[in-house]
Amino acid sequence: MTTSVMGASFRPGELEVRSDGTGNLMGSRCRACGASFFPVREACAGCLSQDLETIPFSTEGVLYTYSIVRQSTPAFEVPYALGYVDFPEGVRIMGQISGIDFEDIRIGMPMELSLEPFGEDDEGHPLTGYRFRPSEVTK
Amino acid sequence: MTQVHITGVGMTRFGKHPDSDATDLGAAALLEAIADAGIDARLIESAYVGHVFQGMVMGQRILAQVGLAGLPLVNVENACSSGATAIREASLAIRAGENDVVVAVGTEHLTSQFAGALTPDPSDPEAAIGATMPGIYAMRATRYMADHGMTREQLALIPVKNKANAAQNPLAHFRKAITVEDVLESRAVADPLRLHDCSPVTDGAAAVIMMSDRAAAKYANGRGVKLAASSLRSGSVDVEPTSMTYEPLTWATALDAYEKAGIGPEDVDFAEVHDCFSIAEVLRVEGLGLFEQGSYPRAVERGEANIDGRLPVNPSGGLIGKGHPLGGTGVAQVVELVRQLRGEAGDRQIEGANIGLAHCRGGKAVGIEGAACTVQIVTR
Ligand SMILES: [Zn+2]
Repeated sequence: MTTSVMGASFRPGELEVRSDGTGNLMGSRCRACGASFFPVREACAGCLSQDLETIPFSTEGVLYTYSIVRQSTPAFEVPYALGYVDFPEGVRIMGQISGIDFEDIRIGMPMELSLEPFGEDDEGHPLTGYRFRPSEVTK
Repeated sequence: MTQVHITGVGMTRFGKHPDSDATDLGAAALLEAIADAGIDARLIESAYVGHVFQGMVMGQRILAQVGLAGLPLVNVENACSSGATAIREASLAIRAGENDVVVAVGTEHLTSQFAGALTPDPSDPEAAIGATMPGIYAMRATRYMADHGMTREQLALIPVKNKANAAQNPLAHFRKAITVEDVLESRAVADPLRLHDCSPVTDGAAAVIMMSDRAAAKYANGRGVKLAASSLRSGSVDVEPTSMTYEPLTWATALDAYEKAGIGPEDVDFAEVHDCFSIAEVLRVEGLGLFEQGSYPRAVERGEANIDGRLPVNPSGGLIGKGHPLGGTGVAQVVELVRQLRGEAGDRQIEGANIGLAHCRGGKAVGIEGAACTVQIVTR
């Protein structure tokens, strides 16, 4: 995992950012059937159990698909890469992709969570968000 | 239980209407539908009005404009399926025996609301990281190309077909046929999608008048067609990641409609489907069971989805050619089915069609496959 800032999480319910610079995307796991969900849910869509625990998801996953967005809302500077990453817990999460030239992005690439500056709050304090970047080759 | 007869339809020109608003457009479509049905407007017993961005009590403003106050009236928001959902609710009022004559209107003045790429609601976690609707469909296109070998040129044949159809539709937003080169040279929006792959920002409205057996026997003048099914589903939560190149939500909605109409996908003669983007048409028709998974791009290449093909898709021009005024879209699709089945579709008339299907699907929220999906089946 890569970190470069220590602002507060841009969306604390979905991204936990800790003071040691680590962080995770957060969701729910059903204690009854084991299904996982992003974001946090009140009941399981698989079995309707309300016995859910909030869990941090793995920081490593696989790129399911992607696009280079060239027209967006004024809040986002274009172009940027957008992708869906499948995590081992059985969730697929959308995020921007960083750390790679657009033309080198491929379906099936191993990706990792990257905590990065992501705008600022109403008072101008920097916020930390997430992107996905190709995994460091450590295996 | 009574059947539901569609006995009057109306639709404004789709396009940019800088000098009118959603009320004017809705009222114009409604008055045309009343005139088309040839009835006294006082026969209308209830109204259902679909829109997305037009503010509180849109429907009341439209009905006041045409002198119809006091009716039970429901405003319907269901993203791009708002108008289609209004038709469904109106048809249920008839099937339940509550009303004999009802109207469904869909309207949107979109050019005054926004420009550029539509996004999920700003509160959504995916909107917060930069998701746009073109971006989401572009990602599905990327995956479909990888899974099924579709080429960029094959995908371009869908806007080429739909804009050729729109060129034959006097009410369409775009009246000019285009080439594959035009598509490939248009501005990139979200790779691999380009501007011609996207439905435009459109103003427009449409209306349909529906009747019970009892009312149709008295007032329909033999011009009625039947709304054999009007089905609605919302997206289920993903319990595990599934293929984004197939649409279980579309299939579940279609299956309900096929069962209610007593037909199967093989019986459908033509379809209006929710081609908000070129790739969406592929995903829709395969999700509806009209074409096998992975087969549609090559079927389009062979001309099977043309007006004179085996199974015409989007003869009106679809959302890409006719335009996409969110609330108006689902009602306008049904207007097209009715005009085709009555033989009133002019230069884009399909010969010998008896069963038409309309499909809408809209909205996006994190973790669900799609938000609101409708399938309507209209028969002669
Ligand atoms: Zn469960």
